[in-house]
Amino acid sequence: MTSLPPGLLMILAAAALPFVPHVARQMMMLGAIALSAYGLMLGAGTHLVWDVLGFELILYRADTLSFPFAVIFHIAAALNVIYSWHDKHWSQHCAALSYAGAAIAALHAGDLITLFIWWEATAVTSVFLILAAGTPTARRAAMRYLIFQVLSGVLLLAGAAIYEANTGSIAFVAMTLGDTATWLIFIAFGIKAAFPLLNGWLQDAYPEATVTGTVALSAFTTKLAIYALARGFAGTEYLILIGAAMTALPVFFAVIENDLRRVLAFSLNNQLGFMVVAVGIGSELALNGAVAHAFVHIIYKALLFMSMGAVLHQVGTIKASELGGIYKNMPFTMICCVIGAMSISAFPLFSGFVAKSLTMTALGDTGIMWAYFVLLFASAGVLEHSGIKIPYFAFFAHDRGFETTEAPLNMRVAMGIAAFLCIAIGVFPAPLYNILPYAVDYHPYDASHVMGQMQLLIFAMLAFVVLIRMRLYPPEVPSVVLNSDWFYRRLAPQIGRPVLRAVMLVWESFLCQMRRFIGAFWFFTYKLVRSPAAGPTIPGPAALVQLILLLAVLSIGYVAALG
Amino acid sequence: MTDKPTQNTADMQKMGKHFTRILLGIAVILAILELFLHRHGVAPIEDSFMFPAIFGFLAFMFIVQVGKWLRLMIMRREDYYEGGESDD
Repeated sequence: MTSLPPGLLMILAAAALPFVPHVARQMMMLGAIALSAYGLMLGAGTHLVWDVLGFELILYRADTLSFPFAVIFHIAAALNVIYSWHDKHWSQHCAALSYAGAAIAALHAGDLITLFIWWEATAVTSVFLILAAGTPTARRAAMRYLIFQVLSGVLLLAGAAIYEANTGSIAFVAMTLGDTATWLIFIAFGIKAAFPLLNGWLQDAYPEATVTGTVALSAFTTKLAIYALARGFAGTEYLILIGAAMTALPVFFAVIENDLRRVLAFSLNNQLGFMVVAVGIGSELALNGAVAHAFVHIIYKALLFMSMGAVLHQVGTIKASELGGIYKNMPFTMICCVIGAMSISAFPLFSGFVAKSLTMTALGDTGIMWAYFVLLFASAGVLEHSGIKIPYFAFFAHDRGFETTEAPLNMRVAMGIAAFLCIAIGVFPAPLYNILPYAVDYHPYDASHVMGQMQLLIFAMLAFVVLIRMRLYPPEVPSVVLNSDWFYRRLAPQIGRPVLRAVMLVWESFLCQMRRFIGAFWFFTYKLVRSPAAGPTIPGPAALVQLILLLAVLSIGYVAALG
Repeated sequence: MTDKPTQNTADMQKMGKHFTRILLGIAVILAILELFLHRHGVAPIEDSFMFPAIFGFLAFMFIVQVGKWLRLMIMRREDYYEGGESDD
């Protein structure tokens, strides 16, 4: 059982879920996750290889890089089962469990073909979490999401094929960016990691998914891409530039976004930027930072999405312009949200602090100061949109007169566990540090570092207080913010429609001419066979066509014989 | 669904005042600590007096201000995409 690739058991269990009653189904899901996690006990090494058509597919390879990702993916999958316990229908559970299983299996792929298979499996399984929302908007977003995810897979497969032709190997190992193959693979990873201009699918689709679906989505796809980048392209300097842009740009979009789950989607993009920069640095400390950041990020981002999901579930809206004043109605959710907000803002004693410090220190060591200050600026940005905006506009701000109650017990349990982990990792980072890819000799809690971070955060919060008190903080208004998806949702159709119309006009004209020509041909043929000169030897048009065909075959045969 | 002077609003205003006082208290403590503890940064400019505090304050103001300008450029009405997309 343990030699099966981790995650595969979860996929097999997902196939059986429709036939199992509700509570047993939830227990079965937790059991499948536990069994899959038990498979990690095999430790580092190559545990399952399958020879297919001359290719050596490595289905289960584990090492110090895959292990921390595998651990947190299992934790996220279990949290999602608890959070969605109240949902009695099997469909979303089936999608979420198989999605998590596919992502975990992908972590253990030792070759590019196996990676491609699981890469696409995450796309196909996760799209149902968006479709399950059941709205026309969600359906359209799901299709756009699927196009991008499948495109990423196709690029990965194309890259893998060229890579195999060039090197004779399909092993998924460290690559040097340079030729067509590696660029294709790099872009495939970049789509799922939501690189600038390739990020539209993330903010477009995640907030359209169901309450529980968004929580599952936030954990796996993008972090799988971070893992793939860390495995394939660690130390690629382009990533520092790309990652820095990813940290800074979403900050400005998040500040004006009205949908709080979309704010979190922009925030997710910003956090991915920190990890991408760390991968780009490529040193042992930086890679530890990227992995640690991914680990804690999955928990606090899930916590924030869970708290906003709970609000949406109870109140029926997640728009900042409509929310507010429910801190007394949902105190537990509010506290969990604040813990998530403090974690993502990297307050000392919270998980974000012990992870982000690694990346910032590694970046400082490189001497790339512009990137260092961009990330410092982005840290203030994180505080603005995730640290303050989310809890403030959801639970405080204005009293809207909502009469609501706390979220269901299962949601509170899941949020409670995630909140506990955020604090536990922040206070005792050693267990996290112990599972990082490289040995860690790093102490985040030195007085200088803590004081600097506290100054940054407290004075940034004071800036918020000043703006609110002076009524200079802009009010939230019902709106949509244009993102990179605008290019294919609005610009492309606007340019494309006239072009398409012109092409269709030319095509119709061509078809019309062809019809005329065919008509004239048959008219001429008819005339020919009916003319007195043709005589009785040609009985009709069919015989004429046969004659022409025979002549053509004879001519071809004659030419071939000559050749 | 509109703002009205409820007990809840009054409670939130009171909490806001407490929150501000606590923040100011922590800010003062941090400023005093800065006088006695040596804080070092990665770049030399980070060693200057209260640099992270000033940086954080200004960065926050900058983000909100740029956000105001961006509203004029990339903010559209809620049904912006709905008009241009069919359900087919």
